[in-house]
Amino acid sequence: MNFKKGLEFFLVLAFLLTVARPITAQVKLEVKEHVLSNGLKILMIPKPGVPRVVCHIYYKVGSINERPGITGIAHIHEHMMFKGTKIMGVTDFEADDALNKKIDELMEKIYREKYWKKNGDQQKIAEWQKQAEELMKEEKKYIIKDHLWETYMKNGGTGLNASTSDEVTGYYVTLPANKVELQMMLEADRMMNSYFREFYSEKDVVMEERRLSENRPGYFFSEQVRATFYTASPYHWDVIGWMDDLKKITKKDLIEFHNKYYVPNNAVAVYVGDFKPEEIIRLAEKYFGQIPRGEDVEPIRTSEPPQYSHKRMYGEGPGMPNLQMWFHIPPEGDPDVPALNILATVLSGETGRLNRILVQQKDVAIRAMAMSRPQWYVGAFTFNVIPKLQKGIKPEDLEKDVWEELEKIKKEGLTEEELQKAKNKTEATFIRSLESPMFLAMRVGRAELNRGWRSLLEDLEAMKKVTSDDVKRVAAKYFVRDNCLVAIYSRGQGR
Amino acid sequence: MKKTSIWILGILLIMLLGGTVKAQTPTRPEDLKFPPLKFEPPNPASFRVVMANGLRGYVREERSLPIVNITAIINTGSLYVPKEKAGLTDILSECLIKGGTKTRTGQVIEDRIDFLGGSLNFSVGERTASLTMSVLSKDLDEGLDLFFDVLMNPEFRDEAIKLAKGRLIEQLRSANDNPSQVLAREFEKVLYGEHPLTYEPTKATVESITQADLKSFHSKYFFPKNIIIAAAGDFSRDQLKSKINKYASKWANKNLSFPAISKNFPQPEPGVYFIQKKINQGYVSIGHLGIEDTNPDYFAVQVMNFILGGGSFTSRITSKVRSDEGLAYNTGSRFTYRWGFPGTFAGYVQTKSETVGYAISLILKEFERIRQEPVSEAEMETAINYYLESFADFFQSPIGTMVNFASLELQGKPMNYYATYRDKIKAVTREKVMEVAKKYIHPDKMVIMIVGDWEPCNKGSDKFPGPLDRLGKVHRLKLMNPLTGQLED
Repeated sequence: MNFKKGLEFFLVLAFLLTVARPITAQVKLEVKEHVLSNGLKILMIPKPGVPRVVCHIYYKVGSINERPGITGIAHIHEHMMFKGTKIMGVTDFEADDALNKKIDELMEKIYREKYWKKNGDQQKIAEWQKQAEELMKEEKKYIIKDHLWETYMKNGGTGLNASTSDEVTGYYVTLPANKVELQMMLEADRMMNSYFREFYSEKDVVMEERRLSENRPGYFFSEQVRATFYTASPYHWDVIGWMDDLKKITKKDLIEFHNKYYVPNNAVAVYVGDFKPEEIIRLAEKYFGQIPRGEDVEPIRTSEPPQYSHKRMYGEGPGMPNLQMWFHIPPEGDPDVPALNILATVLSGETGRLNRILVQQKDVAIRAMAMSRPQWYVGAFTFNVIPKLQKGIKPEDLEKDVWEELEKIKKEGLTEEELQKAKNKTEATFIRSLESPMFLAMRVGRAELNRGWRSLLEDLEAMKKVTSDDVKRVAAKYFVRDNCLVAIYSRGQGR
Repeated sequence: MKKTSIWILGILLIMLLGGTVKAQTPTRPEDLKFPPLKFEPPNPASFRVVMANGLRGYVREERSLPIVNITAIINTGSLYVPKEKAGLTDILSECLIKGGTKTRTGQVIEDRIDFLGGSLNFSVGERTASLTMSVLSKDLDEGLDLFFDVLMNPEFRDEAIKLAKGRLIEQLRSANDNPSQVLAREFEKVLYGEHPLTYEPTKATVESITQADLKSFHSKYFFPKNIIIAAAGDFSRDQLKSKINKYASKWANKNLSFPAISKNFPQPEPGVYFIQKKINQGYVSIGHLGIEDTNPDYFAVQVMNFILGGGSFTSRITSKVRSDEGLAYNTGSRFTYRWGFPGTFAGYVQTKSETVGYAISLILKEFERIRQEPVSEAEMETAINYYLESFADFFQSPIGTMVNFASLELQGKPMNYYATYRDKIKAVTREKVMEVAKKYIHPDKMVIMIVGDWEPCNKGSDKFPGPLDRLGKVHRLKLMNPLTGQLED
């Protein structure tokens, strides 16, 4: 497709050669915006060249919007979004609908017998189960298997996927530049007309997905670490959810969840690639424009209360032993966050302080890293160190080394060289992240749903202003014992 | 102001389209008409350069971002490491940069690259190794200096070797912990037998590796004629060429002949190969050796496997095992490829212990079906269109495209691979699909490997009650202790 040059929307990268030290490229990212009257925001980044368009749609919903009893539903729902609509995935909607209702009624009876009663009638359950299976078999004749997926595939869709995180759920496809309309049609259709077929077998699929995680060495421990660190906020559970909830979540829960969160005013559609923005806007008006605005969605209520205590936990199982230390930090956008991010960069990586001291100088660990994770509502600063077992070092032996480094930072801060290196690294990494259209769409879309896509640039500017004193100050504020969880995982029996 | 104009526009739209809006908006994908789209793939010849001492390159200017990406692909790999030095290329991967050069320590190099916000990484695969660098274009000269210093003059200092060995040994310690890792490794061991493709490091082989080993490996394989450069980014092609020539002109070529490596592989006894692990699912691979990607049937095999189990939800195995039966999150079939040797063919699934037998029986049925019945017109259409319509995706990343071209040349594959790709896909017919299914899928030779918990797997469930020997003779495999190389009890 052709692209008119000279329009205001394209990536602008202006360069300022600074006199003194290193870089600095001044990065400017320009995104064309359009908002539909129903509140759906369209973001466009034209990149002429290869005739493909990355088409992503992000909803402001994830596992933090769940509550005990329906943990994992955001992710189950993401799976169910591939199970058809009133027009997709079905040959005769009325006939299928009638069957589906019967199946749901039976399953509701089964769930009540199984999960509401202590000693449910096993015979009844088996009988209903058999009836339900018969109906499910009958329903197959009306179902067009994975219709949406197949339609995308035969039109050259790649990067076809969806993902659920704590805060955001995304639906992805990359299409030939002449077929963006297909994505608009299918995504508008499933936002508005989702119809959840094969719900019960799909829950089985999700339970298998959970088992896959469980069989990854160290998974159970990491799930407990997270649950211990976050006590009140909904970051307490993993995106996959607790197994009990996966079993007991109902069709009704799912529909309620869909109607609440899958509304145009709770979403952003992002396009990156070879297109004309006018054309995208025209198509978006045509397809997404028909969808009625939904009720406003309230932000989550429960943040994490101060810990006021020092937490420790121990576990053993397969995989590599490690020491983890977790500290509560504020969420994205807080003025303390840039200094914490810089500190994590200075501590981590092959040339980072932790590696230099624990791995190279003291030779007690094989890897050591720190991560700053300010999320939307709550944040965590984490350390992960893997001990050198060959030398008889145990994970708990490393705790004092980490504290020693933290105390040093509180007193001395960072060197000019370290500070500049972290800034250069952050900025260059940002520039590099603009290379991949898919990654760019992801960053812009997610940022938009929290603090707007411009926050990507604002954060970069804030990062450049961080001083060694800032780092000293935040280190003293957050790296204290009663804000800390120490988790020690050893190789051994158990899971 | 802006608000008013949107409002007026809205009224205009309503007036213009009125009640006809709904009727005019297509509601089904079949109703959509797309404008035509032409795409011709880039031609490798227009990017190819030859520099001093025969150093070849694929170079593309791409000036939209102030970045340069450069990769050196070296014709060498773990295949050429003798059994008693297994692990040498793992140590090499870690030490080429960290071990420093004649004039710089590893720490100086890594610090500098980090300070510039760049990245420099090296890894060695089975038959190719690559050094990749990304720097801001203003740092190109300094970056190239480090890049070629590492490539030409590595010193492999002791501290780096010690660190790399320490890391590798800790990895070995937990090498039997992850079921998918165990399955992948043991499946290949059964299919390829005792062969350089399957040698595994142990603590003893790792500890025996010396600086002299690394130096001699490096000096044997790292010279201009055995390397192809791929580069894309914000530079002038001619300037980049002359910058690289500065290094290449001082870099002597060597004589190298690659050893002949046996292509004879055992015929493993068909049946069940069971590896005990106390987990709640069985991890399963079902298959045998496959083909090389230079095989003239390659494109037909790709289309066939797309329909069988490679085309995710549009494929038969995924549709049956995952979507219909809810037995697994991850299931399908794949042909893997390796340069110069047949790859593998396998159906795969991970499912809760009770349904392991049932899921295997469903996959075996699909193997049989694609050999016996012609695939449908609709399945063919989806598969062929997928390959044709997604073709431009190969060229989304400029550096990726240059690396692909360099790899074709390095492996001696036809340089018109991409130019003829779509015609070869179009030429695949339903008859051809059945022919290659018969030719390359052999139900009577299947190795069914399971990593899981024996009791519940063997017991099965209503739909497929055990025992597992209904699927063939059961071999209970023991794992090697990855540190000692001895069988575990």
